[in-house]
Amino acid sequence: MEAAVQQTSNGVVERLREQIRRMQAAPRSALGRVATGLAVLDAVLPDGGFWLGQSVELQGEAATGRSSLALRVVAAATRARRLCAWVDGPRELYPPSAQGLGVALEQLLIVRPRAPGQLAWAAVQLLRSGAFAVVVLDLTHTGVRLSPVEARRLQEAAGQGGALLLTLSSKDCPADGALRLELEPWGEDGVRVEVVRSRRGGAGAAVALSWDVLCAAKVRCGPPLPSLPAVVPAPPLRAVPPGLDVSPREPPGLREGRPGRDVRLPKLAAVLGGGDPA
Amino acid sequence: MRRLYLHLPRFPVQCTVRDLPELRHAPLVLAEESRGQQRVAFASSAALKAGIRPGMGVTAARAVLPALEVRRFDSDATARGLHALGEALLVLGPAFEALPPDGLFLDASAAPLCRGPGTPEENLGERVLGLCAEWGLLGQGVVASQAFTARALARHRPVRVQCVAPDGGAAALGPLPLQVLEEAAAHRAVAGLSALGLSTLGEVASLPTASVVARLGAEGLRAQGLCRGEDPTPLHPAQPEETVEERVELETPAEQLEPLLFALKSALDRCAARLQGRGLAAVRLLLTLRLGNGAQHPVPLQLARPSAQARPWLDLFRHLLAALQLPHPVAGLAVRVAEAQAAVHPQGELGEGPRGDAPLESVLARLATALGEEALLSASPQPRHRPEAAVSPARFQPPRQPRGMISELLPAASRTSSSSAPPAAVHREETGAPLPPGWSGFEQGLGTPLPAPGWLEGLPVAEESAPEQRALSAQGERPARLLPTPLLLEVVLGGAGLPALLRVAGRMRRVLALFGPERLSGEWWEPDPLERDYYRGQLEGLGLVWLYRDGRDGRFYLHGLFD
Repeated sequence: MEAAVQQTSNGVVERLREQIRRMQAAPRSALGRVATGLAVLDAVLPDGGFWLGQSVELQGEAATGRSSLALRVVAAATRARRLCAWVDGPRELYPPSAQGLGVALEQLLIVRPRAPGQLAWAAVQLLRSGAFAVVVLDLTHTGVRLSPVEARRLQEAAGQGGALLLTLSSKDCPADGALRLELEPWGEDGVRVEVVRSRRGGAGAAVALSWDVLCAAKVRCGPPLPSLPAVVPAPPLRAVPPGLDVSPREPPGLREGRPGRDVRLPKLAAVLGGGDPA
Repeated sequence: MRRLYLHLPRFPVQCTVRDLPELRHAPLVLAEESRGQQRVAFASSAALKAGIRPGMGVTAARAVLPALEVRRFDSDATARGLHALGEALLVLGPAFEALPPDGLFLDASAAPLCRGPGTPEENLGERVLGLCAEWGLLGQGVVASQAFTARALARHRPVRVQCVAPDGGAAALGPLPLQVLEEAAAHRAVAGLSALGLSTLGEVASLPTASVVARLGAEGLRAQGLCRGEDPTPLHPAQPEETVEERVELETPAEQLEPLLFALKSALDRCAARLQGRGLAAVRLLLTLRLGNGAQHPVPLQLARPSAQARPWLDLFRHLLAALQLPHPVAGLAVRVAEAQAAVHPQGELGEGPRGDAPLESVLARLATALGEEALLSASPQPRHRPEAAVSPARFQPPRQPRGMISELLPAASRTSSSSAPPAAVHREETGAPLPPGWSGFEQGLGTPLPAPGWLEGLPVAEESAPEQRALSAQGERPARLLPTPLLLEVVLGGAGLPALLRVAGRMRRVLALFGPERLSGEWWEPDPLERDYYRGQLEGLGLVWLYRDGRDGRFYLHGLFD
């Protein structure tokens, strides 16, 4: 009798071991994309959001909603329990605003180098480390114009670390991002966001966002917004040549799939046969 | 008492080869001065195969092998190296005793904690030899109850790990030659026993005690006791040095970074192992480079997080040294742990990545080193109404989130941190908008917004917030950018005494809409009391800005941008 019980328990342990081995060896679903949380904007982005491992440039003047848009992405990443970094060149980031947009401040590292020349270097280090999901490089009012070499280095670091780089730049000092969104004031009520450069299609698409939506707060304590077209019709896309693969590709930073850090782990409850606790 | 003797054959030679790998297969001797003559103290395997023996004159050795590499034997450095190894082994045993030049005792009482395929003591021996291998050293270990038994077997039996039972000393020692006793300083007894025709320790052990005493006296009795596995010698625990410091002398002064980093890695590895043995983690390191002209160049390293891992240290030093320009090549280096604290070992979790927080610690330390500690910060909200004081810098210490597979089983509420949760149910009486924790001052009416000012002629005015808007966070009404210093504005006032034109970014801009005001006042006890009416203004061609009229001087200031 005792021998039978022992044999059964050994079998259970061995099955559990095998299950753990399988779970650890199984390909893991990746946290590959970060959405802005603005459905109208995500709809016109090439992949419905920003891929990790990508370099995205938010171009515009100093009060065109670039920071709020970046903070929305940071908030989405912190909600997914990831760390983010903000390389604050002009030293102007106001954290209470970030908190209002849902950013967990204790998961946001703010880096304020003394010299403008250290901004890109700091961003490269943060991106390459793989410890941060989103790194924002704010070049506003710094006079820094990234050289092609620096831009390529940033892009490579983002791919290497599997992190999303958001560069806040102006038209005078472009940053050569793989995806560039241009933001500009839209009348009295909001901003217009246009995809001006995209290697994955969708260039030319534009949307208009009101300030209240963008800042997730009642910044305009005034009458209802005057008629503003919700979506500016994007120019028709060019026809795709036959044979050209336009399916979304795996971002470079997640190909290696490092478990537990930059990829989401499989749901243990699902594997064990239980429901999703979340 | 059970103890492990670790024998490291030709330890000084192993150390030399470890620090100078180009000598790995070369015939090498370490020479010391004896009676005015350079004599071989230690020889490498290649030199021994060529017929060179310790005690031989260096001149004679060179005659045997002209290509012989000769280095100076530094007994102090050898003792330091052995002591450092002993400190590193403290992770496996509570005490050690160094026996220069080639061995040490380790208290084996912690052997039951060593898990593995063999017996606990065998596992301990394997762990000790594994740690030695990480240091680039080869050795043999014997666990026994008597010092002489363990040491004699380790030195004269080519077995990797051997465990001798408490009462099995005599049997284990039996086959060893009589000359082993010479190492126990029983020279006269050995001579007497040899004269009797005895050749092994077993033969000595089997002699009648009375006859041994009659022939050789007390020394003979002691020698026979050793052969029978009876040795009362206690363990004399070594005292760890006050500071952890490692030095490396370079064979040739280094002008390039790579040879310097190689030597540095060796020193850092040893420092880290010694710290781990003490249960400490370094907070501050000091690398001192000794230049070819005798000058010294210090390179301090402040770590963002206490660490006892050599690899991130090396990465950080590599960064610092790469930016360094020295007038002379580097002839040697010393690494000292200038500040340390108790190490904290977080528990790993199932499914967690093998490196854990290492990338984060590494990049934080690198940035702190290059940019300064003050350049890295986390924002801590403060219960202040003055906007520029509503947040203060804090040290970036991200919470240790549940990781690995177990995190998937936790409810969402426990996964999110406190500050990322919706603001607490504190409501502003006037608008009903929730306030963040710690902002209860609004409850007291200190930050009361003014009533809807219908006197803003020609401009959209604030109205009661819609119910769906009340759920929006009050912090969102703050701009994403706050200017470090409020900017005095050149203003053209409209009919209501409010700005109609503002000079911003070099040109006059028309105010398209103005919302507010939100009156912030207080701190009357301070030299600079707060009395401001804040407005959100939509400027032509710029966007939404945050400006205020200072009640003390009546001027308008630009304070933020809704970027």
